[in-house]
Amino acid sequence: MILELKNLTKMYDDKNGVASFNLAVERGEFITLLGPSGCGKTTTLNLIGGFLQADSGEILMEGKDISSLPPEARKVSTVFQNYALFPHLNVLENVAYGIRFFRKYSKKKALLAAEEFVHLVGLSGYEKSNIGNLSGGQQQRVALARSIATGAELLLLDEPLSNLDVALRTHLRKELKEIQRKTKTTMIYVTHDQEEGLSLSDRIVVMDKGLIVQIGSPREIYYKPVNSYVADFVGKSNFLEDEKGNQYILRPEDVNIIEKPGGKYIIEQMVFLGHRTEYILRNGEEKVEVHLQGIRGKDFNLGDSVDIEILFKSKLNNG
Amino acid sequence: MNRNISYSSLLEKAIIILLIIAFLLFILYPIAGLFVRSLTEGGQWSLFYYKDLFKEENIELIRNSVFVASLSSICATILALCIGLYAHFKGGRIRDLIYRGLMISMISPPFISSIGLLTLFGRRGLISYGLLGLTLNPYGWHGIVLLQSLGGIPLSAMFMMAGLNQIDSRLILASRDLGANPWQTLKNVILPSLIPTILSVLFLRFTMNISDFTTPVIIGGRFNVLATEAYLRVYAQANLNGAAAMTVLLLPPALVAFYFYNNNLQKTNTLSDRSKVLDVETLNYKLPRLVNFISGTITLVFFIIMVVQYGNIFIQAISRNVSGKLVFTTDHLHFFQDRHLDALLRTIHMALIAALLSTLFGVMLSYYNRMRRIPGMKSIEFIGSLPYIIPGIFFGLAYIVVFHNGPIKMTGTLIILIVNCTFRHVSVGNKAANATFENIDKKLEWASYDLGASKLQSLVTLIFPMLRPTFLTSFINAFTACMTTVGPLMLLVSPKNLIISVLMFSEVSNGRYGQAAVMGLSLILITFTVNLIAMALMTREKRITR
Repeated sequence: MILELKNLTKMYDDKNGVASFNLAVERGEFITLLGPSGCGKTTTLNLIGGFLQADSGEILMEGKDISSLPPEARKVSTVFQNYALFPHLNVLENVAYGIRFFRKYSKKKALLAAEEFVHLVGLSGYEKSNIGNLSGGQQQRVALARSIATGAELLLLDEPLSNLDVALRTHLRKELKEIQRKTKTTMIYVTHDQEEGLSLSDRIVVMDKGLIVQIGSPREIYYKPVNSYVADFVGKSNFLEDEKGNQYILRPEDVNIIEKPGGKYIIEQMVFLGHRTEYILRNGEEKVEVHLQGIRGKDFNLGDSVDIEILFKSKLNNG
Repeated sequence: MNRNISYSSLLEKAIIILLIIAFLLFILYPIAGLFVRSLTEGGQWSLFYYKDLFKEENIELIRNSVFVASLSSICATILALCIGLYAHFKGGRIRDLIYRGLMISMISPPFISSIGLLTLFGRRGLISYGLLGLTLNPYGWHGIVLLQSLGGIPLSAMFMMAGLNQIDSRLILASRDLGANPWQTLKNVILPSLIPTILSVLFLRFTMNISDFTTPVIIGGRFNVLATEAYLRVYAQANLNGAAAMTVLLLPPALVAFYFYNNNLQKTNTLSDRSKVLDVETLNYKLPRLVNFISGTITLVFFIIMVVQYGNIFIQAISRNVSGKLVFTTDHLHFFQDRHLDALLRTIHMALIAALLSTLFGVMLSYYNRMRRIPGMKSIEFIGSLPYIIPGIFFGLAYIVVFHNGPIKMTGTLIILIVNCTFRHVSVGNKAANATFENIDKKLEWASYDLGASKLQSLVTLIFPMLRPTFLTSFINAFTACMTTVGPLMLLVSPKNLIISVLMFSEVSNGRYGQAAVMGLSLILITFTVNLIAMALMTREKRITR
């Protein structure tokens, strides 16, 4: 276990902050803190990084409490949302900064050592470039290289991809995962984007209003959400109730439409997106959203009477 | 309806043209006139006065000027940096307190420090002679350096605070995250990021100090500088051409300062879109202990000096120094009431009109340049920013040169003082309005046109009301500046149109500190009252808009 957070609490006022946060992170793990803005995920990150002082609780790193150490003494490095690259230094000098101060190399040696990390993130040839002349994606890579170069055992990433356009984000997501595999660095990643969380993580921590709602693997979170909040946050969902009052969640893509004249559902809305078609079916008060992939959606039209087939549903713990 | 609109647009064209003419006539024309004057001798083009500048005695003056101005600029910059760092990283209430203290000392009347130094530590100083029995001699270059450094601190420290505020606090976090301790962070991130601010402060101070001719007159003793000599050439010898050449020599440093100042300004504008920046309060960064101690001490000493200075003004106004002993008297107040009350009223009159006009002109200039992008207005705005940066003595002399004879003759009138003040401070309102327009959506105006308002109607009914807070702050700043300006006005007053700040100078330089203190006090009371009223109005405005 590399990091353990015990009852970590930091409240700004009655409503905002993080309360009794408990989490154990294994070496080499990729953990995502997922939640809407204001849920306390960045606060948690800043507490681990040492930029905020906790009201109470412990931060144990390899068994030792580091909560009173200043940021520079923690074996943790942060990739900031806006990268926080030093504008007066070039790419290589930025990457060398942490090697110089954290690993206590001389300036010359630090610059030499930094080259390897510039190469790691695919920026060879840009060593002398001015930070201001780099694209957003390149800046992101420099920030990543700078943090990894410190040799920190734990990397904290605060929505590092949120300022990039969709195509680049998907691309860098793969790169990040690849780099993590190569360097075996433990990473804690903060995002409000469920797709990022699902695709990158070994485990996801879903947060709401400063509290942990659920911790689990991406599959667990998606298919076995503990409540409707989690279910809604990681994807679209239908909620069903059986006769006994048990609640179930039903993913729109886990439902099939069956052609059946006189069936009890009527197609009320249809959105054709090419790769899939989204339907809303109605049966009296009950509404069901159904997504059909590819060609499977071509046979149904507005107003058709149909029936549904449920492929998978998951029982919710609480009502 | 149609006729109405075309009438309105015609009126607007007339306003624009008048605005352009005003800026050309009252800024560019005098500056050009001064250059021409410095380049002529007996009606002929000649470099005579420039060659004259490099005679041995003048070289000595130039050397003195550069020496004193460099030293006091460096001192002021370093001290201001310390105060700025201390205030910024203390954060919270202490920062606000220091900021307010700086504001107050910035709007203080001129010569307050001179009066303090001379009455407390002069030959018969209350502290040096009265208390300690010493006979100190504050006269000489060290006196100039002391007063200029002290006088430069408030504005410079406020610049530093603004500069520090512009640093993305995540850079500081990142630096510590990467293992740099507070001292390494200060050296490698904070100070390098602050270099543009430091340079602009340094050059701004240098410009102000090298063109300052009042301090050397008061405290320089036999130590003479270029600016003083230029002033004496006008005042005592009526040698305008020679003085013109001398003031032209003061211009290059001013232009360098202008370059840095403008660059810095643009940068701060582009930085305004940062999203999520932590407050200093949550930043959890403390200055290294030694830096904290030194800068804290400097801040404390500075404010003690300020308090002593202000207290001293009150005491001097109601007392007389009889060989080191304090004797209370109301003579100074009575004398002021009898002799100088009309000058005070004239000063207020002048400052009110000039502040109003300069705010109006500054805002309109900004509107036509930034919002409407009328071609050519950019150059006019540049012209409008010149008087703020060029030496005061230059701008005063330029007015004498072109408005003494010829088509527009107005030396010796109150009007010339008003016009000079208006255009000298026009960039105050201009800059403030520019900052406001950055945040106003241009489509608001299109919406107004779309709803049938003419351009002029939109300006009056839409833009001006939105700018009310800007108007108010610029007016106050311009008013305070007009009340306390000495530089250019010193050359433009005549016995008929004396104003308080100029009178104060002659009282101080003649050793009549009691009378000067009363004048200083009257300026303090007025500027403070007006500032307080404005602040009250502003908080009310905020409450209403909320």
